[in-house]
Amino acid sequence: MAIVELNNIHLKTDRGTPLFTNLNFCLSEKKSAVIVGPAGAGKTSLVELLVGLRFPDSGSVEVLGTAVKRGQFGKILKVRKNIGGVGGPFGLMDSLTVAENVAMPLVIAGEPKRIFRGTVDRTLSELSLLPVSGDYPRSLTRVERTLTQLARSVVTHQPLVIIDEPAAGLDQATSERVFAFLKAITLSGRSLIIVASEKFQTELPGADYYRFSHGALKAL
Amino acid sequence: MGYIGKELGRTISRSPLTAIVSLLSLALLLLLFDLFWVTARTSHKAYDSLITTLKMEIYLSEEVPDSTIDQMHQSLVDMQAVRLVEYFSKDRARMELTELAGVDLLVGYDTLNPLPRSFLLSLEPDHVTSNALTGLEEQLRMTAQYTEIIYDNEWLKEAESSKSYILKVGLVLGSLILLTALFNTANSIRLMARARATGIHQMLLLGASRTFVSLPFILEGLLLSGLSAILSWLAVLYAKKHVSLPQIEIILPSFQEIALFCLAVALLGAVSGFLGVRKLLRY
Repeated sequence: MAIVELNNIHLKTDRGTPLFTNLNFCLSEKKSAVIVGPAGAGKTSLVELLVGLRFPDSGSVEVLGTAVKRGQFGKILKVRKNIGGVGGPFGLMDSLTVAENVAMPLVIAGEPKRIFRGTVDRTLSELSLLPVSGDYPRSLTRVERTLTQLARSVVTHQPLVIIDEPAAGLDQATSERVFAFLKAITLSGRSLIIVASEKFQTELPGADYYRFSHGALKAL
Repeated sequence: MGYIGKELGRTISRSPLTAIVSLLSLALLLLLFDLFWVTARTSHKAYDSLITTLKMEIYLSEEVPDSTIDQMHQSLVDMQAVRLVEYFSKDRARMELTELAGVDLLVGYDTLNPLPRSFLLSLEPDHVTSNALTGLEEQLRMTAQYTEIIYDNEWLKEAESSKSYILKVGLVLGSLILLTALFNTANSIRLMARARATGIHQMLLLGASRTFVSLPFILEGLLLSGLSAILSWLAVLYAKKHVSLPQIEIILPSFQEIALFCLAVALLGAVSGFLGVRKLLRY
C-alpha cells in the first residue's frame, strides 16, 4: 500500500513560474525516501503539498490513503496528525517549553497527561534533551531546536516522518547522532521522507533516492 | 482541558498589565452601560409616579338618583384600569369650591346647588396610556348617566411622546455601548491571537482541530467579558451604597437580571473570542 502518492503534479510558484511539471512520486508503507535538489528546486513546496499547506494546480496528492484536497480541512488535519515533521514549515511553539512542545501531538491526540509523561521523558532522554526540557525555544541552540522537533515528530509513533534539511546548522557530531536516530526510525517500520540539499550523502537502510530534475523527480 | 487552562494562565502571566488594562477598559465600558440601565430604570419609575397623578373626573347627570350612586361606585371600582374611586356629592363639591375660591360662591343657592355630582378616578399606572384612557372614556360614555368626562389627554400624549423618544435614543445609545464593548473584546483577543499566530499555525500543522485551537481564546473572551461585567456591577452597587441622592430613588435591576446580563456579556465575549481568532484558523 502506498503511504504517499503524487500523480501528475503541476505547480507554479507564487510568481507564476512553473515549479513542478508532471511530478510523480510513490512511497510504499515502511519504505523511506531521500529527495535531493538544489535551492529553489521545490523541496519545501513538496513538503507543503504533503501536509496540505499548498495545493497543486493539477494532479492529485494522496497521503496515508487520504486525498489532500483544497477545502477538505477536516481530512487534512487527520493526515497531519499522522505526520511527524522537522524543519521547513514545521517549527516550535515559543510559548511552550521543550517538554510541552514534544508532548503537543499527544495532547492533540487526547492522551491523558499521566500516561504520556513517561513517553515524553523517554523520547527526550533518547535525544539528550532532558536537561532543557523546561526551557523555552527562544533560549535553545539551533541544534537543540532541531532535536526537539525530531523528538516531537516521533512521540506518537507517527507512521510518516518528513524531514526538511535534517543537517542544516548541525555540527558533525550532532549530525551523526541525528542520522543514527533517523536510521532507528526507518528500522522501526515507519516511513521517512528526507528532503535535503545535494550535499546530503548519508546512507539510510532501504531508502530510495530521488533528485529534482526539471520540475519532476528522477530516481537515482 | 489541562492545556487550555495552562494556556489561559500563560496569557495572563506573560503580560499581566495587558490583561488588567483589557479587563478595566471593558469594565469601564460596561459600567457606562450599567449606569445607563440604572438611569433608564429610575426615570421609568419616575415617569410611572408622574402619570399616576393623572386623574379622570366623571360628572353625573342630574337625572341619576342618589340611590344608585353606591352601585355606580362599585361598577367603577370593578374596572381593571381603576385603582381608586372617590365620590363627590353636591355638598362636597361646594366645599371644595369654597376651599378653592376662599369664599362660598353659592350663598343663596342652599336649596338648589347647581354643582354636579362626580366621581374622581385614580388609575392603575399600567393603564395610564392615551389609548387605554380613550377606550375607558368611550366605555363610560356609552352610559347615559355620565354627562362629562375630563382628564388631561394632551399632557398624557406629550408625556408618552417624550418617553418614546427617550426610549429610542436610549436603545441606540445602549446598543452602541454594547457593540463597543464587543468590538473592544474582539480586538483585544485578535491582538493576543496575532501575537501567538506562529504557535497557532504550528498546532494546526500538528493536526489540532479548529475547536482545540480556538477554545483558549473563546474562554479568554468569556472570562474577560464575564469578569468585566461583574466588576462593573460591583462598582454600581458600591456607588449606590456610598453615594446618597435624597431626592431620587435609585432603581437597580433585580439580581436575576444582573446575573443574566453578566451571563449574556460573557457569552458575547466568547463569540468575540472566536471572531478574534477565526482568521488564523485557515492555515
